[in-house]
Amino acid sequence: MGMFRIYPKTLMILAAASMALMMVGQYAIWYHAPEELTMGLVQKVFYFHLPLAWWSFVAFFGVCIASVMVLWTGREHWDVLAGVMAEIGVLFSGLALVTGSIWGRAAWNTWWTWDPRLSTTLVMWFVYAGYLVLRSADVGGTKGAKMRAVLGIVAFLDVPLVFLSARLWRSIHPAVLASKGGGLEPEMWTAVWINVLAWGTLFATLVLARYHAAGLKRRVEAALIRIQEKTLQ
Amino acid sequence: MISSSLAIARKDLRLAFAGGQGPVQAVLLGLLLVFIFSLSAAPGERFSAQQALAIFWLCSSFGVVLIFSLLFRFEEENDTATALLLSPLPVQSLWLGKTLAGLMLLLLCQVFFFPAALVFLGLDPGGNLSGLALMVLAVDVGLCVLGGLIGAMGHGQGAKDALLTIIVFPLQIPLLLGGIRIGVGLVQGASLNGVADWFGLVMAFDAVFAGAALFLFPHVFKGE
Amino acid sequence: MNYLFIANACVWLGVGGYVLFLARQHSVLERRVRQLEILDGDE
Repeated sequence: MGMFRIYPKTLMILAAASMALMMVGQYAIWYHAPEELTMGLVQKVFYFHLPLAWWSFVAFFGVCIASVMVLWTGREHWDVLAGVMAEIGVLFSGLALVTGSIWGRAAWNTWWTWDPRLSTTLVMWFVYAGYLVLRSADVGGTKGAKMRAVLGIVAFLDVPLVFLSARLWRSIHPAVLASKGGGLEPEMWTAVWINVLAWGTLFATLVLARYHAAGLKRRVEAALIRIQEKTLQ
Repeated sequence: MISSSLAIARKDLRLAFAGGQGPVQAVLLGLLLVFIFSLSAAPGERFSAQQALAIFWLCSSFGVVLIFSLLFRFEEENDTATALLLSPLPVQSLWLGKTLAGLMLLLLCQVFFFPAALVFLGLDPGGNLSGLALMVLAVDVGLCVLGGLIGAMGHGQGAKDALLTIIVFPLQIPLLLGGIRIGVGLVQGASLNGVADWFGLVMAFDAVFAGAALFLFPHVFKGE
Repeated sequence: MNYLFIANACVWLGVGGYVLFLARQHSVLERRVRQLEILDGDE
């Protein structure tokens, strides 16, 4: 059980750091970064949208790496970590999709833009939401961990293919919408990077906290088994 | 490995047709889907080539799920899965054999889906039939490569294997987009060169997932 | 302007909701662990 012992102090430090960085990030968004010329104030959704999308992809990559480690080492905590990363990845990508959709509506009067990055995020949301459903249904039984690991690897292999297909698909359609994120002022880039860092720290905090909870759950299950065995003797 | 894969494929095809069932379920479901979708157009209203092809590939996608569910069900009785694993056959030949059998069954299903699309959805195949056939084969290979791997995971899971469809469909999206786009291009008179980048994507998908499946299949297919 | 507010709200509700879920799960698990460890000690 030692592998699950996440020191509360590490978690508290990370949580405090993410709160502080978030506050700095908020200041950067609302006071430091100027208002965008064409889209106005609503462009500031970008400062949430980009970090959420970025860290969701880091999470999905993390699922892939953890899955490889499951197959390589056979150690259970990698399986737990994969599940945790998938959960937070689905949360973050879901929020990225919602903010992206709202931004599209506000800036270009359309709820959905077939932007390749947004489309890829949508497909990945479906894939990893499905992955989470399969995890909770405990499909696989005894070989469940290996099966989940294979799914975690296969899911990430799909990412570049989905992106390329989404980009090819869009290239034939007329370019209705300008690409987001081009031509930013230096103050805007500062705001972007601070928020990416802030959301990254929050991401790490959430992963650690969820991993800690998963560790607790395993302790509960182990204790239940011990009690059952003693009762049966 | 090729000969053992072919042996597995032959065995599976024989078993698939022995009970008189074959891919009947997949064919019927596909035809039903084509018919139901055709109801979404008002009388006299035409489907675009893109719409018709999207429906064709949707039928094929559902067909793949049913086909591989059938193929892996053969090893559920009498612990035949363990017997196969204990045999000197390389494990990967099991996957390759199943994939080949699945490919044959899917192509057979599409022999029915395509005319149905012509009749009910008004799909006009244009002049480049060989190009279309090549497109169908390339996309089918990808669908079956993925189907073989995911089907192996569903083996022995009872009702839970239906849940695996929840992840199969989104994974197939690049293939389906490719199938639709290439099809639309060919139907509208483009040459194979004109849809080369989509073909490249489909072939890349086939290669990546075939490689992954060869490597990962032994981890997921074990006798219970 | 409304859209900006809604987007903000969604993000903070989403993250906040998840943190609340984690906190609740943690307290339930802690209580369960303590109960089980007492039970385990009694056996």
